[in-house]
Amino acid sequence: MKASRILTCVVAAATVLMISLVGYGGSGAGNPIAHAASRPYAGQTVSALIAYPSPPASALQQFTKATGIKVKWTNVDWDSLQTKITAAMSAHVYFADVTDVDWSRVGQYHILKWFVPLNKYFSPGSLRSDMPQLSAFTVSGELVGMPFDSSYMVTTINTRDFARAGIKTMPKNFAQYNADLHKLQRSHVNAHPLGIPLAAQEGLSTYWYEVTGALGGQVLSSSLKPQFTSPRSAGYRALAWIVNAYKSGLVPKANIDMSDTDEMQSEMAHNKVSTLFSDYAGQISTIYDVPGTSTVVGQVHYVPTPGQSGTGPNLDNPDGIGIPTTAHHVGAAVEFIRWFTNPRNQARWAGYNGPKNVIVGFPLPSRVSSLNMLVRARKAAQGQELATLLKTRSRPVFPNGPPPNYAAFSAAVNTSIHQAALGSISVSQAIQRIAAAVHS
Amino acid sequence: MREQTSGPPPDDPLQAAASAGVRTWRRPLALPRMRALPYLLVLPLMAVIAVLAVYPTALTFIDSLYHIDLLSPPQTFVGLQNYTDLFSDPDVATSWENTGLYVLFGVVLSTVLALIMALGLRDRFRGRAIMLAILILPWALPAVVEGVTWAWIYDPSFGVLNSLLHSLHVIQSYQLWISGNQVSSIFFIELVQVWQITPLSAVLILASLQTIPPELYEAARVDGATERFTLRSITLPLIRPGLSIAIVQAIVQSMNIFDQVYVLNGNALTGRSILMQTYLTAFANLNFGQGYALSFLVTIATVIVSVGILSFVYRTVEF
Repeated sequence: MKASRILTCVVAAATVLMISLVGYGGSGAGNPIAHAASRPYAGQTVSALIAYPSPPASALQQFTKATGIKVKWTNVDWDSLQTKITAAMSAHVYFADVTDVDWSRVGQYHILKWFVPLNKYFSPGSLRSDMPQLSAFTVSGELVGMPFDSSYMVTTINTRDFARAGIKTMPKNFAQYNADLHKLQRSHVNAHPLGIPLAAQEGLSTYWYEVTGALGGQVLSSSLKPQFTSPRSAGYRALAWIVNAYKSGLVPKANIDMSDTDEMQSEMAHNKVSTLFSDYAGQISTIYDVPGTSTVVGQVHYVPTPGQSGTGPNLDNPDGIGIPTTAHHVGAAVEFIRWFTNPRNQARWAGYNGPKNVIVGFPLPSRVSSLNMLVRARKAAQGQELATLLKTRSRPVFPNGPPPNYAAFSAAVNTSIHQAALGSISVSQAIQRIAAAVHS
Repeated sequence: MREQTSGPPPDDPLQAAASAGVRTWRRPLALPRMRALPYLLVLPLMAVIAVLAVYPTALTFIDSLYHIDLLSPPQTFVGLQNYTDLFSDPDVATSWENTGLYVLFGVVLSTVLALIMALGLRDRFRGRAIMLAILILPWALPAVVEGVTWAWIYDPSFGVLNSLLHSLHVIQSYQLWISGNQVSSIFFIELVQVWQITPLSAVLILASLQTIPPELYEAARVDGATERFTLRSITLPLIRPGLSIAIVQAIVQSMNIFDQVYVLNGNALTGRSILMQTYLTAFANLNFGQGYALSFLVTIATVIVSVGILSFVYRTVEF
């Protein structure tokens, strides 16, 4: 009897305590226990070392207010950052809590286990429909990084130049596109109508991947074997087309020194060329339609990628963010990535809340839902087309993830194409060198 | 004032001197101390060099004897395998060839230009201090900034160089300064570095020039020596210390050229320097073993060429 009374008292006391706690919890932010539970990483500072401009200070302050996590954002140039990541991670030392995950290095990071797998913090299966480019950061089921913007290669055309050359309909396939280029040249609308960045740098590699995709192939098989060695293969024909385009004068002579897409877009914006086969999505509203930076305002439009037989794919080129395994504050870093990539913020970085809230140079949101928000608010030029391309046509360059030795592979690609364009080596020699880099 | 003492002088001369109020040093102890002093004075510097240069070089050499490829573990001892692999790599051979041209262009151009600048600045004139300050500016700029600036100058479409030469009717059409061929690419890339390293060479040579006593020139003038003779027989021999240091710094800089090549020429083999190749081997291919071997070879090559030049050009000069 006595024991049961004591038990009853204990249960009653526990119940009262539970009820009071629940009641306290209902009061929301004023509840210190709930508050602490919702801010488990308060007081920590996340060091973000990223080759990207910072989000607006006011946005970062809001994040700190909500989570108690401070963010120290350092913007470094892309090349230096890659060296930093390699140096720090090969020495197993801390350098940042979050940093860039370049899609091209995902295979390498996966093999070397340099980044914390994000599968247990994010659900790739449920996110994939909203983030189509998630697959660019997934290798053998492991999510190495989260895409924080959406970028894919698109074909842009100066429709005014095309009309002046008597081209009434936009090219529907690659053969027609090629014929149109020659027509533009012959009609003296533009002596060098095509832009290709031919310096031995990453931009040239990307261009080759995109043309290869358009011609109906891919560079490497799912088991990372070369798919471009046969003269009839898409990769071989794409390389030959790039080289011939330069040699035949379709591409301005100066482009042999053109290091990357920025310069090529400047060429397009100043009407030095009339079309870019492999341009970045989202640049019409940020470059070509901006009077201060362009002389072709209202003239440039996206067209479906002219493919081998109909519309070709648009290869992914997104930026990603991840957590190095040497990070000090993994939990806080996850919180930050979750906030940075959430649908509302993704739309915000692209201008949904006005120019004060954008990240400078942010191309497009990584999420379809965010892009739809921009489309509904009419904040993205040709936004509906871009959203459709993102949902239906964007493809990773390497479906099963890039090769672990991607950097060496890409260096062989761009060096060889550059040399072939200069005439130092033949197309077949360039192909052999690239294939040798794959085998090595 | 020396103190006066009374009584017979002590037998020990040191004691005698001390008693006479003269500060003396005990000879047997003083000699080793005097000999050790120079070594003691350079010891901190030697320690710094040992920690920052000798130790890493030794470590680099040891690591170069291992297979250290992050994508192909494990790490194993391979002896000189990395070196033999490098010697049979055509890209490495091209990079060495390119680097030889960088050094040739860099040393010749920077030394000649620096000598001309130093001779121009030797005599005092109005605005000389401002000229010196302007002269040193390119040296203070980061190499990447210079690379980007010169990329605009060399731009084949709208670069200043093309525009200027075209307007002067020197060229009929806009030229491709970089990427045309190996020699022209290297020449124009190295020109950017020459622009950067010449000021320091000029200052080093100017410092040497200013140590030459004016009496020597006056005597030569009295003897009827021409300007050319004075330059060849007085100036050049007497500035050899400064000249040799200027040449060595030009060798070190041009042997290690990287930023300008990267900005102006990317990965292209036409202008790839040996340091660029080292970077690609280590940080792109992740083959650190070969990267260490190449770094070690670059260090050894730099030391050999520098010491060779020093022994050929450097002479002690005393007035």
